[in-house]
Amino acid sequence: MSDLLRSYLTIAIFSGAAIFMAGMMLGIARVLRPRHPNREKLIAYESGVDPVGGEWVQSQVRYYIFAVLFVLFDVEAVFLFPWAVRLETYGGFGLVEMIVFIGILALGLAYAWRKGVLRWS
Amino acid sequence: MLVNQFLILGAVLFCTGVYGVLARRNAVMVLMSIELMLNAVNINLLTFGLVVGSISGQVFALFTIAIAAAEVGVGLALVLLIYRNRSNIDVEELDLMHG
Amino acid sequence: MTLAAVLGAFSRPAVDWHALAPEVVLLGAILVIIILDVIDEERFRTFIPTVAGFGLLGALVPVLTLAVDGTDRSLFGDAYAVDNAALVLKALFLIAGYVVVLISIDYIRDGDYYENEYYSLMLSSLLGMLLMASARDLIAMFVALELLSIPAYMLAAWRKGSQKSNEAGIKYYLMGVFASAVMLYGMSLVFGLSGSTNFTAIRDALGGSGDPIPLMTIGILFVLLGFAFKVSAVPFHTWAPDTYEGAPTPVTAFLAVASKAAGFVALLQLVFVAFVGRDDVVQPLFWILATLTMTIGNLLALRQENIVRMLAYSGVAQAGFMLVPFAVSTDSGAVAFQAVVIYLIIYAFMNLGAFSVVMAVARKTGSGQISSYGGLFSYAPGLAAAMTVFLSSLAGIPPLGGWFAKFVVFRAALDAGNISGAILAVVIAVNSVLAFGYYGRVMKEMWMNPVPDGDETPVRVTPSIALATSLTLVATIAFGVFPQIVARFGELSSQLAL
Repeated sequence: MSDLLRSYLTIAIFSGAAIFMAGMMLGIARVLRPRHPNREKLIAYESGVDPVGGEWVQSQVRYYIFAVLFVLFDVEAVFLFPWAVRLETYGGFGLVEMIVFIGILALGLAYAWRKGVLRWS
Repeated sequence: MLVNQFLILGAVLFCTGVYGVLARRNAVMVLMSIELMLNAVNINLLTFGLVVGSISGQVFALFTIAIAAAEVGVGLALVLLIYRNRSNIDVEELDLMHG
Repeated sequence: MTLAAVLGAFSRPAVDWHALAPEVVLLGAILVIIILDVIDEERFRTFIPTVAGFGLLGALVPVLTLAVDGTDRSLFGDAYAVDNAALVLKALFLIAGYVVVLISIDYIRDGDYYENEYYSLMLSSLLGMLLMASARDLIAMFVALELLSIPAYMLAAWRKGSQKSNEAGIKYYLMGVFASAVMLYGMSLVFGLSGSTNFTAIRDALGGSGDPIPLMTIGILFVLLGFAFKVSAVPFHTWAPDTYEGAPTPVTAFLAVASKAAGFVALLQLVFVAFVGRDDVVQPLFWILATLTMTIGNLLALRQENIVRMLAYSGVAQAGFMLVPFAVSTDSGAVAFQAVVIYLIIYAFMNLGAFSVVMAVARKTGSGQISSYGGLFSYAPGLAAAMTVFLSSLAGIPPLGGWFAKFVVFRAALDAGNISGAILAVVIAVNSVLAFGYYGRVMKEMWMNPVPDGDETPVRVTPSIALATSLTLVATIAFGVFPQIVARFGELSSQLAL
């Protein structure tokens, strides 16, 4: 068996164990617990208050801009990570390069902030 | 090593993506199909990088990931713009100009 | 193999700042524009176009000093080359960008939308084009392509409230992103089967003996087809007319000239360097693309009523002429390479000129219909004369630049010395005649037909549009009368590449 397959075997054993444990606990609880459903119990739980509207709601379109900003800055981390792992090897040269990179990113954030994208209104 | 299996996975994902781009009418679904195609490319690049023993495959994949995020950011902004102006995002109905 | 073993010891790469200076200057201009915008949008509004213009001219200075210096430089592990070919094309992109900025100024100032972003986006796209001219590696080429495309998608949708502009943006975006995904899949196959992302290494891998790998053929096809979208080759041209019509006219000029040129620059490196060992795939593919693109582009242009749409289809047909040398890439060699570069340079000037006249006339008539050009000569003789020069040049009438461009392409096709080249030459000749149909129609409108609603108030040409028109006019005539200037650029650019 190759190394690759063996490392996947670990994952398979772990997932099998996880499914078995969770299934066993929920299964035992289902056998033991009393069941008396009524209307109050079946409505969706919303922090203890009566729910408003249906459960299928569209999220505010304003979230979109935050989501996109998050994704963009989040993904730029793929360039930070390889650098951070070998920080010492790259030394001062790598540091200066990264400062320039982050500086340009920060300018993008400053732009978004200045244009009022970050304001919730 | 499982080279062929990874390449086949990549090819299947890529074809699913192409089908999605051609068959879907909702612009967001088209965007998701394109993401699928780009991820198929990443699988290919990483597999080949391992086979060839060169770091280029992984570097290429990193750039693909970052640029795909930028593309999707712009794409969603355009879809939102269309939605604001016409309140639907059906790509087949974009036919103001022809000839 | 572990990662550390692959990476090896790190040594600080030697960076040749002189070679990178054009890109650094342009990046500096972009950053200055964004910083000014962040500090005070209103106060610096009138100042931004100047920064953009000087940024482009400033980037031209190191291009000239590098050209005078004349040594070929190679950076970043041969991924990035600064040689004569790259410099000629960089200069072309910067000058074309400058002309586009000139024709944009009044349009953008009088519009209702953000303007500072317009210039930073356009300069970012041009930065991508500069990178494209130097890219000698699949990764560098991909990053350059996306850097030039993504800002262009946003520019096409610039008029946010206009449904047409929205539609132009999303169509361009969806087609562009789909094409780049297909191209990227092809690149992954090419990388995997040749073992390298570097063009010369790919060429060496392909040139080896042994049967060609079918998967490699698919990879090459996908990469080339991805760029066929970019240069709007038939049958991948469907986005072009809609995007050109819907986008703001200066952006259309930018897309039709600079963006298309960038696609051809990439194809030049791919066809003449990387894939040279597989001309059994490349030549027939481009033979089909070139024939279809010339013929269908011309036939569709004949029935257009809108001038921008007509220029869009004429641009498709012109792209077909530029595809011809690729169909004889190995048969004609250096002659074919030069033909593409010469055609690109001349096409850029005559097409930008036509667009700047369209901009000037649209400011008065507010219409894009060909019929609105009726009697232009009677009230704006200068513009009508300039437009006649540009259209005659596009049609290939001597002694204007377009004639020489068509001639070098024709020569490249005949130089191949085989049947397929000869057939292409015949197709070129037939299409050149066809093209007179629609260019002639606009000229007839301007010189012979009456003014549509009797409104003979003269067109007020703003200084920046006048400068753009005269620059392109001088270049179009000069390249036709003294073709050796542009031929020299062609020769220079093909020295190292072949």
